[in-house]
Amino acid sequence: MNTFMRWAGFVVVLFIAAPLVIVVPMSFSNASSLQFPPPGYWLGYYRAYFTSVDWLIPTWNSILIATATTILTMALVVPATFALVRHKFRGKGFADLMMLMPMAVPHIVMAVGYYSYFGDLGLVHSHLGVILAHTCLSVPIAFLVLSANLKGFDRNLERAAQSLGASPAKTFLHVTLPILRPGLVISSLFAFIQSFDETVVAIFISGRDAETLPRKMFDSIRQEADPVIAVISTLLFFVVLIGIAAPYFASALRSRAPKPSRPAGAH
Amino acid sequence: MGMSLSKLTEKTNIWPWLLLAPLGIYMLIFFVVPLAEVAIMSFTEPKVSLANYQKVLTGALYQRVFLNTFMTAAFVTLCCLLVGYPLAYLMAHSKPRTAMLILLLVTMSFWTSFLVRTYSWMVLLGNNGPLIAFLQMMGVDKPPQLLFTRFSSTLAMVHILAPYMIMNIYTVMKKIDPALIRSAESLGARGWSLFRHVYLPLTAPGIANGSVLVFVICLGFYVTPVLLGSPREQMIAGLIGHQIEEFLAFGLGSAMAIILLVVTLIILTIYHRRFGLDKLWG
Repeated sequence: MNTFMRWAGFVVVLFIAAPLVIVVPMSFSNASSLQFPPPGYWLGYYRAYFTSVDWLIPTWNSILIATATTILTMALVVPATFALVRHKFRGKGFADLMMLMPMAVPHIVMAVGYYSYFGDLGLVHSHLGVILAHTCLSVPIAFLVLSANLKGFDRNLERAAQSLGASPAKTFLHVTLPILRPGLVISSLFAFIQSFDETVVAIFISGRDAETLPRKMFDSIRQEADPVIAVISTLLFFVVLIGIAAPYFASALRSRAPKPSRPAGAH
Repeated sequence: MGMSLSKLTEKTNIWPWLLLAPLGIYMLIFFVVPLAEVAIMSFTEPKVSLANYQKVLTGALYQRVFLNTFMTAAFVTLCCLLVGYPLAYLMAHSKPRTAMLILLLVTMSFWTSFLVRTYSWMVLLGNNGPLIAFLQMMGVDKPPQLLFTRFSSTLAMVHILAPYMIMNIYTVMKKIDPALIRSAESLGARGWSLFRHVYLPLTAPGIANGSVLVFVICLGFYVTPVLLGSPREQMIAGLIGHQIEEFLAFGLGSAMAIILLVVTLIILTIYHRRFGLDKLWG
């Protein structure tokens, strides 16, 4: 049983890895259509990406929308998380559940809703519309990460500060926030990624004026499979790799004993 | 939330409500209202009636799409389990270094955009791709069309959703006390019987978690089936999008969306009663 599982496991490693790494050679290919292995190599499609307004504007839109979404999400979620973790009140169970609801509703259902609702409000094809929608979709993941952090918070540290004469505001600013910083950072990062990767709602409401990168990629794959997609995929691949590997190396340098961490959420 | 204001002030603790209010109001305006609009449109577009539901629940096309969606989701879940279990096992029972490398790979896959992974499968399965080339090398004269079939979309969905299954099973496997396995062995359990009666039941919570998550995500999957699947074998999300984008049939699209939503929520409610919804993504 043991041997069988191990061999099967190694086969699965290949199955998981192959599609991730194949985009790297593809991005240097000089073929004009999908062809693997590539007939030859050049950097032409990198030049095409970095000089094409058609690709740079959606990239910029996505960064802008994800940044605004993150700020709005955190502004709403941080106070709400404090209320839900630190206070007991009637209806708390219901409120807890409501925080997770946007994760439970299939994105295509929300897309239909936003398409019609934002149409009435005149918010389709606008950055604001996408930001407002993405904020809803980012709330659950930001809340899950932050509430897990806040639950593990030792409140004696705050009591100690206050017993030493710090006002509640000062305690919050100088004790609570600094200790909570890692949780806040990870929570914001997840909100950002959730928005940056979100495809379905963006396809329906971003239009041409607020076109996000995933929408542009979706359209391009559907129509002609522009080889520039391999370039973007490779760039995203390395961003993710650096993002995941950096903490490993940082902890390895600090303690020489890297501790694996697992992602706490889904998108 | 359903509590009267006088009772609130009685307890003199309005702080949690003040802190919750901004998000609560926001979610009401930008989450509950659009969702309610879908529900309303399903009954009122183009005119007030149950016609949309009647059409969706009895029409041959729609029934086929619903059935196809369910079968695909069940099959993808099963495949994710068959693929994910051995990998989680390998991770849980390898040297720390190997385990960490595999974990890094799974995490990479998890964080890589659906679109990127979908595109990769287009390359791998395309007519000028490595798999077709391999088949030709093996002497297959007329290799089958792999891309834009049920096969390609299913394979890509298994790849995309497998990390959810792997992570859930791995978390449970790591917590298994090795003493349990040793004592089962000392009582004579070996090989298949040890796995079947001791190891597998111990990992059941992870399997349940992962399966619910994969099944539910797969039910509402839009991107991958639309890009990689056969246009003649749509899944429900693709058909909803099609109705809205191509025909502006908001009533029909909404009715299908509501059915999809209700089914999803029923599954998640059963899960919530048993385990608690916050555990699902945790």
